[in-house]
Amino acid sequence: MLCRFTENTKKAKNKLMWQRPPLKGSYDAVIIGGGLHGLATAYFLARNQGMNHVAVIEKRYIGFGGSGRNTAIVRANQRTKENLPLYAEGLELWPKLTDELDFNLMFFNCGNLNLAHSEAALGSMRLLVASAQFHGIKSELVDAKQCKEIVPILDISDLPTYPIMGGMYHPPGGTVRHDAVVWGLARGAARLGVHIHQGTEVTGINVQNGKVTSVETDKGKIHTPRVLNAAGGYSTLVSAMIGIRLPVHVLTIQAMVTEPLKPILHHVVSSGAYHCYANQTLKGEIATGAHMDPWPNYTTQVSARYIKHQAEALTDLMPCLKGVKFMRSWAGLADMTPDMAPIIDGNNPIQGYFMDCGWGYFGFKSGAVTGKYLAEFMASDQCPDILAPFTLRRYENHKLMGEIANPVNYGPWN
Amino acid sequence: MTDRLRNLPTMKVHPQTELTLIYAGKRLKGLASDTIATALYANGVRIFSRSLKYHRPRGLYSLDGECSNCLMDVDGIPNVRAETSLLQDNMKVEPQNVVGTPERDFMSFIDKLDRFLPAGFYYHYFHRPYRLWPFFQNRLRKAAGLGRLKPSFRMKGIFDEIYPRAEVCVIGAGPAGMQAALAAATQGLRVILLEARPWPGGFFDYRSTNDVSDIPLHQRARQLADKIEENRNIRFFPGTFMTGFYSNNLITAFQVGKETDYFDERYMEIRVESVIVATGCMERPAIFDHNDRPGIMQVACAHRLARTYGLLPGKRAIFSIGDDLGLEAAMDLFDLGLPILCVADTRSDGQAPGLVEGLEERGIPFMRGWTVSTAHGSRTLKKVTLCTLDGLENRDFKCDLLVASAGLTPSAGPLFLAQARMSYDRFTGFFLPDEMPQKVHAAGRLLGLQDPLSIEASGRLAGLSAAADCGALVKVLIKEARELLEQLPGPVRGSKFIQAPGSGRKRFVCFDEDVTVKNIYQACDLGFDHVELVKRFSTAGLGPGQGGIPGHNLPLIVAQYRRYDGDSSDPILPTTIRPPLVPAYLATYAGKSRNHPKRTPLHETMKKTPGAVFRRTGSWQRVRYFTHDFQCREEIETVRNHVGMIDVSTLGKFRVFGPDALHALQRVYVGDMSKVKEGKVKYSAMCNEDGCLMDDGVVVKTGENDYYLTSSTNRADSTAEWIRYHTRYEVWNFSLVNLTDAFGAINLAGSRSRELLQTLTDEDLSNNTFPYAGYKEFRIGGDIPVRAMRLGFLGELSYELHIPASYTRTIWDMLLEEGRPFHIQPFGLEAQNVLRLEKGHVIIGQESEIRNTLHDLGLGFLWNREKSLYKTVGAPALHFTERQNGRMKLVGFRMEDPRRPPKDGSIIVDTRIRGHVCTARYSFTLGQSIGLAHVHSDLADIGTRLEILEDDMGSKRLYAEVVPTPFYDPDGKRLKI
Amino acid sequence: MSLTISCPICGKRDGYEFRFGGEERGPRPDEEGLTHEQWCSYVHMRINKAGIQREWWYHQEGCGSWFTIERDTLTNLEVEGREET
Repeated sequence: MLCRFTENTKKAKNKLMWQRPPLKGSYDAVIIGGGLHGLATAYFLARNQGMNHVAVIEKRYIGFGGSGRNTAIVRANQRTKENLPLYAEGLELWPKLTDELDFNLMFFNCGNLNLAHSEAALGSMRLLVASAQFHGIKSELVDAKQCKEIVPILDISDLPTYPIMGGMYHPPGGTVRHDAVVWGLARGAARLGVHIHQGTEVTGINVQNGKVTSVETDKGKIHTPRVLNAAGGYSTLVSAMIGIRLPVHVLTIQAMVTEPLKPILHHVVSSGAYHCYANQTLKGEIATGAHMDPWPNYTTQVSARYIKHQAEALTDLMPCLKGVKFMRSWAGLADMTPDMAPIIDGNNPIQGYFMDCGWGYFGFKSGAVTGKYLAEFMASDQCPDILAPFTLRRYENHKLMGEIANPVNYGPWN
Repeated sequence: MTDRLRNLPTMKVHPQTELTLIYAGKRLKGLASDTIATALYANGVRIFSRSLKYHRPRGLYSLDGECSNCLMDVDGIPNVRAETSLLQDNMKVEPQNVVGTPERDFMSFIDKLDRFLPAGFYYHYFHRPYRLWPFFQNRLRKAAGLGRLKPSFRMKGIFDEIYPRAEVCVIGAGPAGMQAALAAATQGLRVILLEARPWPGGFFDYRSTNDVSDIPLHQRARQLADKIEENRNIRFFPGTFMTGFYSNNLITAFQVGKETDYFDERYMEIRVESVIVATGCMERPAIFDHNDRPGIMQVACAHRLARTYGLLPGKRAIFSIGDDLGLEAAMDLFDLGLPILCVADTRSDGQAPGLVEGLEERGIPFMRGWTVSTAHGSRTLKKVTLCTLDGLENRDFKCDLLVASAGLTPSAGPLFLAQARMSYDRFTGFFLPDEMPQKVHAAGRLLGLQDPLSIEASGRLAGLSAAADCGALVKVLIKEARELLEQLPGPVRGSKFIQAPGSGRKRFVCFDEDVTVKNIYQACDLGFDHVELVKRFSTAGLGPGQGGIPGHNLPLIVAQYRRYDGDSSDPILPTTIRPPLVPAYLATYAGKSRNHPKRTPLHETMKKTPGAVFRRTGSWQRVRYFTHDFQCREEIETVRNHVGMIDVSTLGKFRVFGPDALHALQRVYVGDMSKVKEGKVKYSAMCNEDGCLMDDGVVVKTGENDYYLTSSTNRADSTAEWIRYHTRYEVWNFSLVNLTDAFGAINLAGSRSRELLQTLTDEDLSNNTFPYAGYKEFRIGGDIPVRAMRLGFLGELSYELHIPASYTRTIWDMLLEEGRPFHIQPFGLEAQNVLRLEKGHVIIGQESEIRNTLHDLGLGFLWNREKSLYKTVGAPALHFTERQNGRMKLVGFRMEDPRRPPKDGSIIVDTRIRGHVCTARYSFTLGQSIGLAHVHSDLADIGTRLEILEDDMGSKRLYAEVVPTPFYDPDGKRLKI
Repeated sequence: MSLTISCPICGKRDGYEFRFGGEERGPRPDEEGLTHEQWCSYVHMRINKAGIQREWWYHQEGCGSWFTIERDTLTNLEVEGREET
């Protein structure tokens, strides 16, 4: 028995996805948060910027947060010209990354169908479609009949609470295996020399003369001139260490899967009116996501209300799904901003402090490409044009982004 | 059908009531109270399904639905748990994931390819060259998934939902749960008792061993059940599966209806003060090579098959067990007629002496320190190899039944969900609670107790503790109960975690996902060192059974690996358990259909109006068109030329009154509300703190410190909240009443509206006494009070009439009747949309958005900058953005081609996207196509040419010119006639 | 997660009857001398404390009053019986 294990272990050393190196006293960059954004930035720092002496600090295990809890939908049909190019490039990156990391990220290019249940919703979708088309991204408006041709299990009669009037079909979108992205990037980064420290908690960030000097962790102090806050739902807590407040509401968003079925849903379907999106995973589960509990908390607990709501919504839209069972539900933290666009900034006002947060529940789609540009930003101290609109300053400049049209209903202040 | 055992007091099936089931096209017979699985078993079915990945044959294993072995297609519903679903007459049952028949599956060759399918193999294959990936992906998708759902499938049956409340909820009606329920109920508390099986009794129910008072345990269970039934404080829910346990003791569950129930399934949300978890134990799967072969089952499965269903499993049986329950079952089954070749026990000592003697008396060979190492047989079990724990000695036995179990593990799912702090206890080998959440208690076997009396005593203690949570005075009773429990046998040492010697590749940790011990090692080898990561990578425990089968073994195997890997510091961590604990139909969760839109007081009238096309707008059902001409030409022209009317009952309506009412209005409205005069309406807007337009409406002063105001439809539900929020720090004395649903409202618009309205009232409505922007209260149609406002939203002489809800229909009908000579017609939302567009008025949410301030919408004039004293909401932002450059602006435009309006949502471009069209229509009134658009301020000047791009337009463009608004009647003359 | 909240008027009720109204951070600053940063900080910036915070709630499906409670954002449980300090 024992020899079997040692044999296993010996074999293992060269197979390891990532090593468990000891924490060093200094790194060129410290990335807080071992999720998709942090790992992608680390990977691209090492790969594109020649900065290999990088540590990724993760309090739990990699992919513990939003990266492992999202429903893995990718698309590039954003509303504004600031967001579109980033998401479009992000979408093109998945096949490339798969090849580059030699790790199958399982990009399922199934296309996304977003349902409209009113004339007004169709108008809003036209804005998205026209904008996408202007940027050369495939997207089209379809009527209810076409919706049914694309997704035959939809009910396009008048029976649902919100009858389907049409939709927006976005063929380049789909899903990516979220865990694979995290593990692929972690392996890629580790092979390029990045140190991934799981089970390590950042407890403070030290600044001298307006510059980042070091990071305190529960395993020791790390000297570094650059820190990236990529802590997702916990980013306001990290930010507080350095005295920067963020326009972020930490809410929990829930998702659930059904028992596995043979293929029946071949696209990502979503509906704003129902607060509902669904797709069938490679394993055959219908993965679906839902509402947010509208009060901030860090529990990642699910609630009874939304799994029920989700069942009502899904079976209204796709009545055959009444015969399927929910088998698992979970929740993740979403760091929501008032304008549903992320905050990407750096050296402002503290030299060497970078932030990549406020991604809410849409941080998965363009996480990898953001890492690429963020790595450029961190290495060169020059913010790439594509990231410039996401500055934190936009709030005090009274120029919220138009990624969402109407004020988000987080509370009575809007 | 096999003969059943007869005259067993523990039998639950009714031999006199035969039911039919159709399995794979064949007619079979089962008995009432059979589950689908036991009925099939009775008919000799041994292979129930084929496994997900390797298409291995799978059979009856646990009877509690912990794995996907017995997931079957029943009446077109996939993944039905045959083990726990009651048989109903004429059910059509089909095996799942089978290519061919369960006995001969053409895909079973995959089982031989396991070397090429290590854990997470799909991450490493298929992507090079990338163009082949879609092909492989398609193959993988088709291979994955278990059941098949037809797109045309429609769930039949009645799905109800209930929301019971009580003081105490007990989960599990075994001996501990029943005692707990009785203890709490005796204190006068209302108790809800949930039990997944169709009857109470738990693990007493099928055991014939005597308790101390010399009655068999099953009889003891009956006694307790009778007491439960007699107790009027206890509501007992059998066939009820707990799904969720949420904070503050909210329990969700679903109940499967019996034949006599009015429902098929019902969703339950149970809110109680205190909860007792008494869910008992399940068995730890024994790990050995081919441990999944049909013919291998757990101890309780074999025992219950015989005792509850009268089915003797197998003709030659081997037992390989790890605790006394296994020995007891062997003896009992032997006595019932099961030939047992031998009993292997992983323990070398510690067995209850009576049981060992019992085996001896019966002449059953008993092998201490032995375990099963391999099962043989290509489809079902033919032979097993037993060996000593060190693997040095082994013996083969031909057999058709292997009862295998490594011992017990608690069904602690509810405790995990309740956020109890759980840790691994080395003595019992259980994950036990270190710290329970407030008002949650655990009792019975899941604490490690095995002695029947201890189990009952712990139930009583938990019941009393729950009673104490609810305020019952039971201190003394609790003390007595605790002392009694302390005198009784405590938790029993758990059997050791043992992996059978040998290195077989088919030692399954998770049946659902075909994950073997080897797969777990492979994941660990790659560096997945956290049990949760191993779970995700290997997919162990991610199937329909969730943590059921791997829940105990996976954490131990990972911990063992890590110990050998030199990492002894890590505690043994459980995998995360998530709701629902038992998968539940979407139909069950959805419950009753709840499509109940809000209706206006005029809804019935509208429904009878020919041509009315309804739309769901927010929570309301409203008429969008009264015609199938979606351009609404007739509706629009009627308003412009004659008179029309629209149901605007959805508008928010509020009364604000009291000495500080004006302060409150000054706080939320951007205008100077001190300028509101009696008999006049004032139009104003509300902004949020960003200066973004949130709402607009009118305010009327109806008396001293008494105001009546309207909000837009969407804000009706939040206006009271808004006003109170923004005044929450003030000690202002004012009251606010939401009258939205108390009043219906009709907007009567058109140049002839005065003439028409005058026919219904004696009140002088002339322009002098009731001018534009005037407000009047009077009676029409005899005695119906109305509040009338002269408003100009649509650009014509118009009266917005607010009428008590119950009279709104009467007034509508009167107007329609009296309006005939005036060519009156009702009009809908779309006509209103065009009419107001011609006037250049904005609709919140349609022309306003989050990045616009009031200035950007051209409504800056509504803001009174002189009232900083009142801290008007949004005022600072309005100051800051008043002269800011580079903002988006709302502009009016006219199309160069008058016949061709762009569709809503079209974008405005040059080399970049510069804005978008909010609303654009062809105006029959003006003979032009006009619209409102958001453009970058560079493009906002009058006369600017706009390039418009609709969807699917390629390089073509539409062209428009920025023009001033209003488009129609810019001087507003028609409002004032 | 299933929050319950104690309304000072209606008593302990299901959390979904209420609307969250933000962290308690005092009344709005005066307009005079207000800078863009101060304004932005008041309007948008949040602490998102991980622990017990005092916060506003509105009883939407009840009496319609605004009040504050203390709640632990790590457990999502109301901390009952603590007076405002």
